Amino acid sequence: MIRIAAVGDVHVDKDVLGRYRPALEQLPDVADALLIAGDLTRHGTVEEAQCMAQEFGGLDVPVVVVLGNHDHQSDQQAEVTDVLREAGLTVLEGDGVVLELNGHLLGVAGAKGFGGGFAGACASKFGEREMKDFVGTTEAIADRLGDALRSLECDALVALTHYAPVPETLVGEPLEIYPFLGSYLLGQAIDSAPTALALHGHAHHGSERGRTPGGVPVRNVAHPVIKQAYNVYQLLSEDAGAGLVRV
Amino acid sequence: MTHQLDEYMEAEIQRLLTEHGAVAEQGITVQCRENLLVLGGEVESAERRDEICRQITANFPDVQVACDIGIVRAAAPTEVEEIS
Repeated sequence: MIRIAAVGDVHVDKDVLGRYRPALEQLPDVADALLIAGDLTRHGTVEEAQCMAQEFGGLDVPVVVVLGNHDHQSDQQAEVTDVLREAGLTVLEGDGVVLELNGHLLGVAGAKGFGGGFAGACASKFGEREMKDFVGTTEAIADRLGDALRSLECDALVALTHYAPVPETLVGEPLEIYPFLGSYLLGQAIDSAPTALALHGHAHHGSERGRTPGGVPVRNVAHPVIKQAYNVYQLLSEDAGAGLVRV
Repeated sequence: MTHQLDEYMEAEIQRLLTEHGAVAEQGITVQCRENLLVLGGEVESAERRDEICRQITANFPDVQVACDIGIVRAAAPTEVEEIS
């Protein structure tokens, strides 16, 4: 059995310091790792990354993150990544990591992702250069995510993105902005590997649960959606009965 | 200039809340009532909620604002979901 905690869109800055910490101190009792689905900061500055490192660093469980669109706002994503890595966090972007937890191997492949929309209403690589670049960006990210997922040898495989791979977890958001919230290409990448769980954030007004066309469970763990410091998901259960169990 | 509660103002506010460096929020809803602007959604701190209201009041001084923005709770969970 592996238990993973997950949250996204924590948007840390000075004013948030200490808010998550009491719940994070309990993590080792309830989960084996913490995954964070992007938008770690408000504007993607080094100072905010230092706040993020202070709030989510030094925990007794491994912490794996991807960046979100907010973390790109100041064009300092490389420096933000450096600060987080120096604090011991694993930052993924089109690559993966395998963690040994409880005698099992947990594989996590992660990427920020990008937009483009979903089947029936998706953007195409056609027309203006800007439009081709938009769709091409998502294609490249999804390709790297798929490659990373298929490359990991592990007992349980988790996909971590900021943007959504399916429209079901966007329900509650205005339909008009779905193309800015995710892409079916991410879902296709997730379905190309034996993924056990896909986690994303970004959609603050979205819904918690969905599935990819290939049947992979998807969870939107954006903080305003889960309304607690993190959710905990149990994988590789010896007891196959699904549902909520007490911590 | 007197501001009218219309779609142009709604769009202007939405962009202000995202693009203004002191706010940077994409998850705030803006609803125009007859003579009232209602703000919704959740943010990470009371300071951020207050800054949103301050920015709107400063930029649209003749608009009456109702702030229903909440602060997202950050308690530890009490349940685990089994994935199958």
